[in-house]
Amino acid sequence: MEAKRQTEENMTKKLKYIVMMVAVAILAAGQARAGGVKVIANVGVPANSISVAELKSVYLEETNSLVDGTHVQPVLEKGGPAHEIFLKEYLDRTDPALQIYYRTLIFTGKGLMPKAVLSDAEMVAFVAKTKGAIGYVSSATPAEGVKVLEVK
Amino acid sequence: MQMNLLTRGPERWRKKRVAFRALLLLSIVLRFVIPGNAQEFRLFQHTVQVHGFASQGYVYTNHNNWLTMNTSGSGSAEMTDMGLNVSTALTDKLRVGAQVYDRELGRLGQWHPSLDWAFADYRFASWFGVRGGKVKTTLGLYNDTQDLDFLRTFALLPQSIYPTDLRDTTIAHSGGDVYGKFDLPRHAGALSYTVYAGHRSDSMYSGYPYVLTQYGSFFHHYGGLQYGADLRWETPLKGLLLGVSRMDQDIRGDGENSGFPPLQTSKQPKGLLLQAPRMDEGNLAQGQAGWRPVWEKSKQDWTNQFYGQYTRGPLQISSEYRRYFRDQIILSGMAEDLDDIRGWYVAGSYRVCKRLEVGSYYSHYTVSNTFMNPPKDPDLPANHEYDKVITGRVDLNRFWNIKIEGHFIDGFGNAPYPAGFYPQQNPGGFRRNTNGLVIKTGFNF
Repeated sequence: MEAKRQTEENMTKKLKYIVMMVAVAILAAGQARAGGVKVIANVGVPANSISVAELKSVYLEETNSLVDGTHVQPVLEKGGPAHEIFLKEYLDRTDPALQIYYRTLIFTGKGLMPKAVLSDAEMVAFVAKTKGAIGYVSSATPAEGVKVLEVK
Repeated sequence: MQMNLLTRGPERWRKKRVAFRALLLLSIVLRFVIPGNAQEFRLFQHTVQVHGFASQGYVYTNHNNWLTMNTSGSGSAEMTDMGLNVSTALTDKLRVGAQVYDRELGRLGQWHPSLDWAFADYRFASWFGVRGGKVKTTLGLYNDTQDLDFLRTFALLPQSIYPTDLRDTTIAHSGGDVYGKFDLPRHAGALSYTVYAGHRSDSMYSGYPYVLTQYGSFFHHYGGLQYGADLRWETPLKGLLLGVSRMDQDIRGDGENSGFPPLQTSKQPKGLLLQAPRMDEGNLAQGQAGWRPVWEKSKQDWTNQFYGQYTRGPLQISSEYRRYFRDQIILSGMAEDLDDIRGWYVAGSYRVCKRLEVGSYYSHYTVSNTFMNPPKDPDLPANHEYDKVITGRVDLNRFWNIKIEGHFIDGFGNAPYPAGFYPQQNPGGFRRNTNGLVIKTGFNF
């Protein structure tokens, strides 16, 4: 009886430990996500937030407007840390897989290649001057002349 | 047309060289003269994108000439294709574009360019859009992208499902599509659908019209109604896609028959194809005296296809099953030909590093035909093709790749409906097993 009680206590301790570790991992992931990239938009885009699903649909060219009807245009970076984080966090794809996806669209006539820029600075500049443009930059990049969208 | 099918002279090589040079020149201009990565220009305040691709293959087989090339002996490099497209968005919802495609695959294609696709696409919402014009047909995982070599690991897709010699039979239709995608409730994934109807029109330089030349029949028109639907489910399991396609057709072909070999009925003896006279210019001249109209048409023609694909990081596994049933009135109504073709494959590929990808597949093809071979006996090599394949792909850069691929094929699927091995290139008959080597390089921009 005592042994059984002891075993239950041990299992409870282990369970608490696992729950705590999972919570720490989730918090850490949230920190990393918040600290990785920020999604930016042209100031003419009325929305202040965007869902992950909506963001993915825009970048995969399944839609070209937000739920409020605003026409948007996705902009990519050609490489770099912000690009890698964005693809992993929001599109669930590697860069080669995304390139194959876009080439499938353009060679079957089902889409166009999105605008691609070389750097965070170029991204901010392009989004600032292009109506409906949506892009991403690393969190440390100043977002002057653009608005930062909260990703929900 | 008849003479064109046989032409092998300098004119063809001149066309090939001109096409190559034009595309090469265009590629150079677009890649290096126009700044940046995008190949685009402005026209009436719209940005027009230009993209293209080309590939060159070499095929060697130890036995049996394959895909209408003379692949045994020293092999064949008559495996070239290319495409060039322009597209633009006219409004937020309306997009237009067109692509020209050209190829040479042994006796097929022969550098006769075709309009691959050309359509207007209006998307009302993510769940509803329409396309009209000449549209690539959605059928299974790869039908609409089967020419786009650079999108996949393999040099040749599994021939049991995507026979490259018969690409014209499924590749596109002139008509319209309705399509869309919507999320399912309760996090059950997303569904994509495509419903289409239109007119299929085969090139006279494709596999089916070519296989008929062994009977002395030369078609000048082959095509008809093609309609169907595709439904694919992005499952809640990340990376897993499942789908089903259905296609129905009502096809008619019209042409002329030279009178040899004599038109025969379903009592035709087994093995006629191996005894058929070679189609050379002498034979043609002999036959021209007795040209007579010949036609064939569908009684039934349908395809069912089921597929699944799982992608996780650098690993991709895919599998498809296709059943193609064709009940065709042939020889101007003198005979009826039933083909029941079943194919499936399992393929896997893995990206080892940034530059290297490896893959393998097993492709299983059987045909049951009432016209020539004893039906329902898939063990006969004339009624099946079992292909084991291994491939390595090296990406020299983002736009240029090289592939090397080994095929180990049991059977030669020699029915009146072709499957890669043609009597015209194998007049002495077929051997049961064929080992093949395919080396292919391609670029796109």
